[in-house]
Amino acid sequence: MKRVDAVIRPSQLDEVKQRLTALGVTGLTAFEVRGFGRQKGHTETYRGSEYTVDFLPKIYLSIIVAEDLVDPVVEAILKGARTGVIGDGKIFVTSLDEVIRIRTGERGPGAI
Amino acid sequence: MFHFGGKDFRTWMLKATVALVLLNAAAGTMASAFAQDAKPDPAGTATGDRTAVVDAAGNPIVMAEPADKTASDYTKARKDYEDYQAQAAKEPLALKVADNVGHLKIATNFSWTLLTGYLVLFMQAGFALLTCGLVRKKNAGHLMMLNFAAYVFAFLAYYAVGYAFQFGAVALNAAPTNLGGTPTLNHFLIGSGQWGFLGGKGFFLTGPAYDAGSNCLTLFEVVFMETAGYIIVGAICERITFWAFLICELFIGAFLYPVFGCWVWGGGWLSQLGSTMHMGHGYVDFAGSSVVHGVGGFCAMALSVILGPRLGKYGPDGKPRAFPAHNIVFVVTGTFILLFGWMGFNPGSTLGATDLRISVVAVNTNLAAVAGSAAAMLLWYFMFGKPDITMACNGMLAGLVAITAPCAFVSPTSSVVIGVVAGVVVCLGVLFNERYLKIDDPCGAISVHGYCGFFGAVAVGIFADGTYGAGWNGVGALSYLGKAGQGVTGLIHGDTSQFWLQLGGATLMAVYAFGITFVVFTLVNKVRSMRVSKEVELAGLDVPEFGMLAYPEDAVEMLATGSQAHQGA
Repeated sequence: MKRVDAVIRPSQLDEVKQRLTALGVTGLTAFEVRGFGRQKGHTETYRGSEYTVDFLPKIYLSIIVAEDLVDPVVEAILKGARTGVIGDGKIFVTSLDEVIRIRTGERGPGAI
Repeated sequence: MFHFGGKDFRTWMLKATVALVLLNAAAGTMASAFAQDAKPDPAGTATGDRTAVVDAAGNPIVMAEPADKTASDYTKARKDYEDYQAQAAKEPLALKVADNVGHLKIATNFSWTLLTGYLVLFMQAGFALLTCGLVRKKNAGHLMMLNFAAYVFAFLAYYAVGYAFQFGAVALNAAPTNLGGTPTLNHFLIGSGQWGFLGGKGFFLTGPAYDAGSNCLTLFEVVFMETAGYIIVGAICERITFWAFLICELFIGAFLYPVFGCWVWGGGWLSQLGSTMHMGHGYVDFAGSSVVHGVGGFCAMALSVILGPRLGKYGPDGKPRAFPAHNIVFVVTGTFILLFGWMGFNPGSTLGATDLRISVVAVNTNLAAVAGSAAAMLLWYFMFGKPDITMACNGMLAGLVAITAPCAFVSPTSSVVIGVVAGVVVCLGVLFNERYLKIDDPCGAISVHGYCGFFGAVAVGIFADGTYGAGWNGVGALSYLGKAGQGVTGLIHGDTSQFWLQLGGATLMAVYAFGITFVVFTLVNKVRSMRVSKEVELAGLDVPEFGMLAYPEDAVEMLATGSQAHQGA
């Protein structure tokens, strides 16, 4: 089992979600987050005084999948989230030890 | 000394309230003890009769008996009077109809004045939204409470003494004939004749002020005072304690606003300089660019200087930092409500719908508003690359403030010019305050109301075209500048003295409002700091001052914004 995390643009969430559900991904958790990467923030003027927007709004997705789905899921996120402009985000893949369904107590890939 | 909000203060407040109630009762007894020459008319049944009936040019149908036998036109006046008497004796029914027409005329004007007063009242909601939207989220509840409490406490102060100070002698030199003239308000507390400095009748709205005509004026004028009262919120918010703010409101409602108001609208000395010193039509401010907005704006300036800037507003290098508005939707909605309310503020200041100049006033007011906003948007676009939404709103308010004094006396073309100049003044004023004077004014109140209020009063002396206001402040009822029916006239239409008086009067207003406020509140600030503690300011004033948040769902987020506040975010 793997956990695929992705930081994406809020505007791309819908497209990424559609591509993932088409693949048969059954569950998806999304967080509204703020952060910066290499694109950093930008400066704006408010009533004549400059201010910097360092932390930009992003969506943080967390998806748990069986091993065989990892590559198609990563591919789907790449296709859905890419605009080609700096600030598209990143994908992180990590191994996962255990998954437990709270309602039944079921464990392992069947609980995903 | 006592602590604001502490037990001592509460005891003191209780004593003060009891004293006020007793004073109120005493004022009522005294007023009834001294019989008045003119009787108040609380029921409104005697207000408005045939004497109120005039033709379109303002000539009455009832001829008064000429008293001065040496007057040059005595023979003609005597004949007119005798003709009228003979006519009246033949047509008793016509006189009854005339009485009814007179009553209906006053009733029409009552409706207009009261309804436009309600519109001005609604501006309170607009200003609350505007200022609340312009500040940081953590102070949103505090801002709403300041706007709310301003209405409550300043109203009571104005009821107790403010109205009497301002209009206690209005019948002497500035009788509101559209409302029946309020003949019972006829005494100056300080000064007399055409040199009045403070009105002296109508305390606690008892006796001479318990009158239908007077109360119509009270309702309309109290909401004007409230406008001056809430203006200060925009400059002192996010750091003033609630108790200090209430003292500010009582000060404005009881003293600061009524005194200057008496000088200009209560028949006081400034308005009479035309008759006494041959300076134009006396100091003219139609709806209050200086009386309301200027006084509020310069009072706000003094308070803001005393309080100092918000924590983190200026970096160690002295450069101003931006504290962006938390809700632009409130800001724009609030501005539109203010524009709507201004349709009462200016046209309503005729105190009567039978004065048909109201349509010109309404158009002029709107034109200046849109011109001001357009100028601010364009200027900001050229200076900073993007129009600023909050400055576009400030630009509209600047146009409105500036047209408030001249709205009845100028043409639509001049209104556009006045609006454009105000839109530029407000933008440069905001930058000047923030960058050079280093006065922290979160909502631009000083620039919008102070600077543009000053400009508006001067604009009367420049642009007034003489089409309206013949006989204003008792000057030139028959002819002015050699022309019959010539009204208030400005510099470009040939009356230099009016311009100089407007400039002098507006300067006096700025010095008066800033100076008195500065002296009084420097003392108050010495007794007890008017500013909240550093911790409270960083955490946001909502919970420390009132125990609740404007947006309770932010309770968890508070922890995060608390840490951001240390960086001045």
